[in-house]
Amino acid sequence: MKRREFVARACAGVAALSPLGSRLGWAASAPWLLVPMDDAQSDHLKAYGLTYRVLQRGDRAEWFLNYRSGSFLLPSDAATARDAALAGVATEPLNDGQLVQIRGQLQGGNMDAVPLEKAPKVAVYAPPNAPPWDDAVTMALNYAGIKFEKIWDPEVMGSGLKSYDWLHLHHEDFTGQYSKFFLNYAGAPWLVEMVDRNRAMARSLGFPTVPAEKRAVAVAIARYVERGGFLFAMCTATETLDLALAADGVDIAASYADGSPMAPDASGRMRWDEAFAFHNARLELSPTTPVYSDIDGHQVNSPDRRQPLGSFTLFNFSAKIDPVATMLVQNHRQVIPDFYGLTTSFTRKTLKPSATVLGDEPGAPWVKYIHGERGQGTWTYFGGHDPEDPQHQIGDVPTDLSLHPHSPGYRLILNNVLFPAAKKKELKT
Amino acid sequence: MALRPASSLLWFTLLCWAIPALAAAQQEPMSRAFDLERRGEYAAAAAAYRSVLAARPGDAAALLGLERVLLPLNRSADIIPTVRSALAANPLSAPIHGVALRAWAAADQPDSMRAAAERWAGVAPNDEAPYREWGAAALGRQDRAGALEAYTRGRQKLGRTDALAAEMAQLATAESDYLTALREWLPAIRKLPGYRVTVVAALGQVPANSQPELLRMLGREDDFIARRLEAELRARWGDPLGGLRTLEAALPVDRTAAVDALSGLIDQLRGQRTQAALLVQGRALEAVAARTPEPRASRIRLQAAQAYSAAGDREAARRMLTGLALDRSAPGAVSSDAAATLVSVLVDEGKLEEAGRRLADLAPSLAADEYGELRRRLVQGWIRSGELSRADSLLGADSTVEGLALAGRIRLYRGDLRGAVERFQAAGPYAGDRAEATRRTALLALLQPIEPDSLPALGAALLQLERGDTADAMRGLEGVAQTLEPTAGGAELQLLAAKLAVALRKPAEAERLFRGAAADQTAAAAPAAELALAQLLLDQQRQAEAVALLEHMILTFPESALVPQARRVLDQARGAVPRT
Repeated sequence: MKRREFVARACAGVAALSPLGSRLGWAASAPWLLVPMDDAQSDHLKAYGLTYRVLQRGDRAEWFLNYRSGSFLLPSDAATARDAALAGVATEPLNDGQLVQIRGQLQGGNMDAVPLEKAPKVAVYAPPNAPPWDDAVTMALNYAGIKFEKIWDPEVMGSGLKSYDWLHLHHEDFTGQYSKFFLNYAGAPWLVEMVDRNRAMARSLGFPTVPAEKRAVAVAIARYVERGGFLFAMCTATETLDLALAADGVDIAASYADGSPMAPDASGRMRWDEAFAFHNARLELSPTTPVYSDIDGHQVNSPDRRQPLGSFTLFNFSAKIDPVATMLVQNHRQVIPDFYGLTTSFTRKTLKPSATVLGDEPGAPWVKYIHGERGQGTWTYFGGHDPEDPQHQIGDVPTDLSLHPHSPGYRLILNNVLFPAAKKKELKT
Repeated sequence: MALRPASSLLWFTLLCWAIPALAAAQQEPMSRAFDLERRGEYAAAAAAYRSVLAARPGDAAALLGLERVLLPLNRSADIIPTVRSALAANPLSAPIHGVALRAWAAADQPDSMRAAAERWAGVAPNDEAPYREWGAAALGRQDRAGALEAYTRGRQKLGRTDALAAEMAQLATAESDYLTALREWLPAIRKLPGYRVTVVAALGQVPANSQPELLRMLGREDDFIARRLEAELRARWGDPLGGLRTLEAALPVDRTAAVDALSGLIDQLRGQRTQAALLVQGRALEAVAARTPEPRASRIRLQAAQAYSAAGDREAARRMLTGLALDRSAPGAVSSDAAATLVSVLVDEGKLEEAGRRLADLAPSLAADEYGELRRRLVQGWIRSGELSRADSLLGADSTVEGLALAGRIRLYRGDLRGAVERFQAAGPYAGDRAEATRRTALLALLQPIEPDSLPALGAALLQLERGDTADAMRGLEGVAQTLEPTAGGAELQLLAAKLAVALRKPAEAERLFRGAAADQTAAAAPAAELALAQLLLDQQRQAEAVALLEHMILTFPESALVPQARRVLDQARGAVPRT
């Protein structure tokens, strides 16, 4: 071999192995890209967006559960390599031999490969003028670059939910009591606007009061899940959705919301069989205390009952037997700092036995992250408002996720977005 | 009967035992009720309070306790029968009448609220409290019309036009009826001057289009209270000079009252850093100093000088400081601070000869560090004036890191690039403040790729920049850039010229220069030029072009240290993260 030819070949070899080469898709000999989700990943949150967009382009992907903290396998095409480089997502080129080795490891341990087939169509339930930076899921979707549409009461009460695979709820108070801020924030422009908007919406949909209209919306959401929808709720939407569903024929709203005081015996008359996750809760009777019931363990807005923040631990599940729960807890951290919300956590005593606990605070009387099935669909509840703003207050500066690209709390949200993409397979249990 | 000592002692002992026991027996049910309330057992606490009231129906403390615990139980209206008994037992008690009013409000009975207020007013005919409580209870039900009715009725009954003025004013403010609010606030302040601060805070938020009408209304009032309010509102509404003029024209002869008024105006300006606000602070402080005895006056004059200096009124600052520096009666520390500040002011003013003389006079009384700092400040003044030789000779062989950094700048402006780099490197990263250190590092990066050791044209352009002649500096830098290869410093100089064009608000010129700096993609400045150009495009709302350019930059220069920043700007351009 001539000296010049030798140098050219050596340079080509180095280029193929270099990280630059892999980023720009030069590694033609590697047909796969592994997106590691352990500490080698440079942007955990955008990795979900990268995978989602692969599915959106009609390609297929795989989720390697429990392998390097829940890595993804993507095709090594030019579009994916370009997208990864732009997003700053770390990828590793894999050839077929290396992939076979990984599949061997997946077979041998508590790991599995779940095919991802279709980008789920995502809806976020929010009023039309909701600020984009005040909802953790909206922020996560925006940051990861996952497309979604905003819907509200008219769409839910119509047939709008049918066209979505995944629905997210965050702030809404489905008891129709304006987050119980009505008395404490009386006169605040944002509250006045919220009250006017909700009253107008209830009128336009033909309901006598906002609580009546919100309960109808809650029931429509429950029907959506029963028909096979995926529901993900955070913060106060979790607790109030269940309360609204269970308040069948029971007045649980204060007089400022519907003109009549809350029934004093409301707690005893609730129909908990209609709720997703909770039962036997005691409702808060005071209209001035922004607390709904003893479902929430932290009671952040009740100074004498407020509990300090700790941290919660994710459970381990069998990847091969229980892939859904395993997908929902994929993370590079097992212990995650807790964060407040109007509903921060869920007391164990009010949790239905059918609910699966995905994460809890060991030794505390509450859990943080729960999941369950209803009809053909599933629901997942995650307490708290913003994983990277643990003491969030009204009017705080918005969270900038480019400063938290490894947020384990936000990863849990994005696990939920991606898991409806998984190909359903018959479970062994 | 006279008691013997032993008998007295016995009686005393018995009393000591009996009195607390008796009190405890009376207090026990109340204590239990308080305790239950504190523990959050509201239903039990309500029962305990009721048992106290059964024994003593007119006990106001127990009735207030019962009112508190019924609220979280959502049963506030249940108190009504108990209130009736309490009023029968203790018809003159204001707290009981207050509870009665709130109970009817909770029961949603506005007619009964009115009757309760009238009943209370019957036993306290000259008191505003019944109507104030009636209004407050109505407001608690979001019933502003009811509150207005309460206050109006109170004013009629009491026969005083200034009765309940503050309440009326707050109601009008909530309704955004600022003229009525001001009309009501004026008598309220005249009655209770402490309201002024509240009024300025409340009316300080009035929208700009309502402000002229309020000022006209204030202008029609002829007392000092109105003038003072007008002055402070003008200061809050962004017209501090107008505020000062208003106040100066009305200042009372009484020194204490005048100082109080001037201090109020200064307080309104504390957080404002505009030139006008700082100037007014200086003038108001000067006026306060003129009415204050020594030695406090000297300290206030020094504060005035600092405010004038910050406002850019060096003449006034110097006037304050000259007097202070020469004033033998001023406290030593003030005099010394004033002299040092004066040297700085003179340097900023460009009066370098005089600053030099003052510094020479001051030298014996200054600590070596302080003297060195002022001397270097004067060196900077000579550099800014373009007198590099004077600067060099004054700096001498200053071997401090700050001195080496200054020596580097002098070499640089003379075009001695090698000498400048050597001195900047010797000064290291810690000389001067953070901004100065960052600027020096940037200069080092700029000089690094340039091959010639001497480049007087570059030194001259950078000196123009130092002296504030940005436009000529930009042209000079572009001229030098054209004489150099892009990879040998030409691109870096063009990039700097482009940034100056941005500062000069010449976006077209900036875009041309940025594109020139990025033209040779092998130059180290190319990714920085593309990133800066993308930011310029974003500022011009040219989102799509910016996104394309950022994507090009990230994909073309994946190893550049600027890529994370480019990704962040890309996220902002796409709306993926908030723009901060």
